[in-house]
Amino acid sequence: MANALRRIMLSEVPTIAIDLVEIEVNSTVLNDEFIAHRLGLIPLVSDRAMDMRFSRDCDACDGDGQCVHCSVEFQLSVRCDEDQTVDVTSADLISSDPMVVPVDVALAAARTEGFDSAENKGIIIVKLRRGQELRLRAIARKGIGKDHAKWSPAATVTYMYEPDIYINEDMMGSLTLEEKISWVESSPTKVFDIDPDTHQVKVVDAEAYTYDDEVIKKAEAMGKPGLVEITGREDSFIFTVESTGAVKASQIVINAIEVLKQKLDAVRLSEDTVEADEQFGELGAHMRGG
Amino acid sequence: MDAQPEPVSYICGDCGMENTLKPGDVIQCRECGYRILYKKRTRRIVQYEAR
Repeated sequence: MANALRRIMLSEVPTIAIDLVEIEVNSTVLNDEFIAHRLGLIPLVSDRAMDMRFSRDCDACDGDGQCVHCSVEFQLSVRCDEDQTVDVTSADLISSDPMVVPVDVALAAARTEGFDSAENKGIIIVKLRRGQELRLRAIARKGIGKDHAKWSPAATVTYMYEPDIYINEDMMGSLTLEEKISWVESSPTKVFDIDPDTHQVKVVDAEAYTYDDEVIKKAEAMGKPGLVEITGREDSFIFTVESTGAVKASQIVINAIEVLKQKLDAVRLSEDTVEADEQFGELGAHMRGG
Repeated sequence: MDAQPEPVSYICGDCGMENTLKPGDVIQCRECGYRILYKKRTRRIVQYEAR
């Protein structure tokens, strides 16, 4: 179940990305396909994605994917008429929907107008020399990471079992302060600490434990097996979600649960399930019971 | 397809002169006689999938 959630976050939570590029003029050093690909990879703010339609099942347009329900249009027109090179960046994309803009542009706008430094001026698409020009129209559509990685809202998603750490206090009490310090320091991550007043060993950050078994080996080496017992809780997980910025990490989790619910509903309502239920009568009764 | 022979313009690889060529013409610049000509980019819009 936890891995199902992780995999949905990576590949089935929808986002918006440029999918179709109509190039009018391109006299830049990069060829059309190259530029189209680069445009596709620009992350766009996708808070609208969950209630947008997939262009393939949009009935307002006949699968064209060119209407307000399933697409967002971008215009880009840059020409270089000076001797210095001009950067064409994500900031030059003009969106038809103020809700859907490149992620870095939205971030810059939030930081009280404009990009803060010369370093940060958007995602560079191509650089222009004097006389070069790029003019195009791009259609962004809703999609999922399974179709193409550009639609994946998450960079990395990991999870671990929440550790249950039990310190045998009696045995710990029998250690000298030096022994305690060397035992606490045997953990590669800072999981334990010693109270400066009572000299008691306590858990400061259980989540930092990486299941490395170092402290257990150390305890054994000190001749104190069973000093600490660490088990993974089977019913609790710690997820780490890194977002591309298209959707907030917390929102990715919420959307993933929503997608998972829809998938489970699809299974429950499908004809095949009813058939299978008759075969496995008892199991079916369990499933219907929730 | 229409059989009308449309003249197409090319750019000379040497002098940069614009040449219009019809089917059957010798591929040679009218200005300098250079034999490498470059076809110009279409003025039509071209569509790509961003994948």
